[in-house]
Amino acid sequence: MNQEQMTGSQILLETLIAEGVDTIFGYPGGSIMPVYDKLYDYQDQLRHILVRHEQGAIHAAQGYARTKGFPGTVIVTSGPGATNVLTGVADAMVDSTPVVVIAGQVSSALLGTDAFQETDLIGMTNPITKSSYQIRKTEDIAWAVSRAYFIASTGRPGPVVLDFTKDAQVGKAAFKYEKCNFIRSYISKPVVDESKIDEAVKMLDASTRPFVVYGQGILQSGAEKELTDLLEKGDIPAGSTLLGLSALPSDNPHFKGMLGMHGSIASNVLSQQADLILAVGMRFDDRVTGKLDTYCKNAKVIHIDIDPSELGKNVPVDLGIVADAKDALSRIVAKMARKERKAWLNSDQHCNEVEMQKVIIPETQGTADTINPGEVVATVAEVCGQDAIILTDVGQNQMLGARYSRFKRSRSFISSGGLGTMGFGIPATIGAKVAALDRKVCLFVGDGGFQMTSQELGTIMQEQLGVKLVLLNNNWLGNVRQWQELFFKERYSATRMINPDFEKIAQAYGIGRVLVEKREDLRPAVERMFADDKPFILDVHITEANMVFPMVPPGKAVSEIMLNSTEWYK
Amino acid sequence: MEKEKHYIITTYTENQVGLLSTVAGLFTRRSINIDALRVFPSGIPGVHKFVVKTTTSEAKARAIVLNLEKKVDVIKSFCYVDNEDFNKELKEVADYIQERENNNN
Ligand SMILES: Cc1ncc(C[n+]2csc(CCOP(=O)(O)OP(=O)(O)O)c2C)c(N)n1
Repeated sequence: MNQEQMTGSQILLETLIAEGVDTIFGYPGGSIMPVYDKLYDYQDQLRHILVRHEQGAIHAAQGYARTKGFPGTVIVTSGPGATNVLTGVADAMVDSTPVVVIAGQVSSALLGTDAFQETDLIGMTNPITKSSYQIRKTEDIAWAVSRAYFIASTGRPGPVVLDFTKDAQVGKAAFKYEKCNFIRSYISKPVVDESKIDEAVKMLDASTRPFVVYGQGILQSGAEKELTDLLEKGDIPAGSTLLGLSALPSDNPHFKGMLGMHGSIASNVLSQQADLILAVGMRFDDRVTGKLDTYCKNAKVIHIDIDPSELGKNVPVDLGIVADAKDALSRIVAKMARKERKAWLNSDQHCNEVEMQKVIIPETQGTADTINPGEVVATVAEVCGQDAIILTDVGQNQMLGARYSRFKRSRSFISSGGLGTMGFGIPATIGAKVAALDRKVCLFVGDGGFQMTSQELGTIMQEQLGVKLVLLNNNWLGNVRQWQELFFKERYSATRMINPDFEKIAQAYGIGRVLVEKREDLRPAVERMFADDKPFILDVHITEANMVFPMVPPGKAVSEIMLNSTEWYK
Repeated sequence: MEKEKHYIITTYTENQVGLLSTVAGLFTRRSINIDALRVFPSGIPGVHKFVVKTTTSEAKARAIVLNLEKKVDVIKSFCYVDNEDFNKELKEVADYIQERENNNN
């Protein structure tokens, strides 16, 4: 049956189905029209979501991938279609998100002639992809596509771009599909060096103050249980990166909060007091470490990551282990000693009391006339029973969304971390909802980020996706405004925004919307929002000059923490 | 500043279009100057060899080797301080490819 002649477009779609793809986020155009034409015949098997801008397609695919743990798929045309996805490709690269982008390209005979809508997509995406490949022959399609999914989803996941010439789309060949699971120049799963596991166990057993810092690698390798077991067996506290959130339930007694610039005081202080840092599936981003030469100076460092180039890149390591997180942690758990370290585990009481009194209560139990954004996040967490998938855009909404959301289930927090892409939120929320129709999916977004990709409200309308968009509306580019207030002498250059009437926007798209200005209206409005599974915009007018604390200012050690504009943690 | 020295970085790759710009791009992005570059068939069928001579710090030289190896089509990369003998690596790469193909993972 494999010998049937098919067009390249059909081979592409058949291969996608064979790879397990069920959804495509895309936008048609000249050089991808043969694929779209064939897609017409495959509507039952492949759900195509027509976005309103290609950036929306890639962010939606990212939201889908991070919810499902399966690569998101994007199809766009050449030229502007392809360049419009670049931001999302760069975002997926730095946040290790598996996506496969299939972009049309002019016919191979025209390559290099500045033909209509020709761009050098391979040249442009090479530095921001895990792999990019130009398909010029129909016979190569099944191989190249299967290989793309293998590369995107294994090892350290990431984006793969396929630049698909039009002649390859229309040419004919036999459909010969073979699932790719081996590339000789590429290690999809490293073999763990057991002697290093033994060394790690020895260091861990000898440590009196170990601290685990973990990232998205836990979610990606499915190591939530192994992490939990390790923390329990050793009485070890742990802090999460932004992208690692929800790997542990928020009420896990070993979980000390988020690390870094707007992380919890406890997580930051414990990393400075520890005598051993065990880092798993994270990359010591500068937002996590603060001033590097002051970071965890009292500690030995064990770093476990699947990407060898991460070990020692930022923080010098005493022991580096190249491994899948689940694999390494299960081996360590099996060999480590059960130890009691209660005093150390609970040594963060002072941190927590200070944070509660000076930061959390003022932020989440506001008394002023206006509503604080933290109150909104906390109310959402309460009303949705800590069970929603929470997404954020970028800025204050992101840090507060991360700080005050509560999680019971893994893979429940999605945000643009390494690139910090404003405009990520709305489309990523679309992708998350498509991947988890049975779950509540809720976005926190600022008025700036909302307007960067608000055209995707059209997609939400067309697909009738029950996403909940919580607009934390402060009429400022809040995060930048905060830096201007704190570090630029209150010179508010280009951060004030005159906003449109969001009610009319919601109305135009037929999306329900409630405006909240008073505290007593907040909870009923959030309850109303979650009462059904329809799209909804909750427009909350929040305290304009609100600031996110605690804050480790840029260039400071993570133990130098601002509690508000005038006080520092002592 | 760490002391700069001459390094020779050799890289074995699959024979893929566009790898020259990938390899060069990794150096450019870290502002490491390429003093000399040679690309030729390695002697192992289908495998190309890049030899880059560069002046940089040891940390940067080691990091670039790891980043070269991170590229899907790069098989192995090595780093030598100037004038070290690097001819024995060819057999190492051939053995490595053989082993990978036997184990298939
Ligand atoms: C595409 C993009 N442009 C600019 C920035 C820089 N930036 C980071 S946060 C921020 C302000 C965000 O304002 P808003 O969306 O209203 O959210 P808030 O901080 O008020 O919650 C800006 C401009 C960015 N991260 N991404």
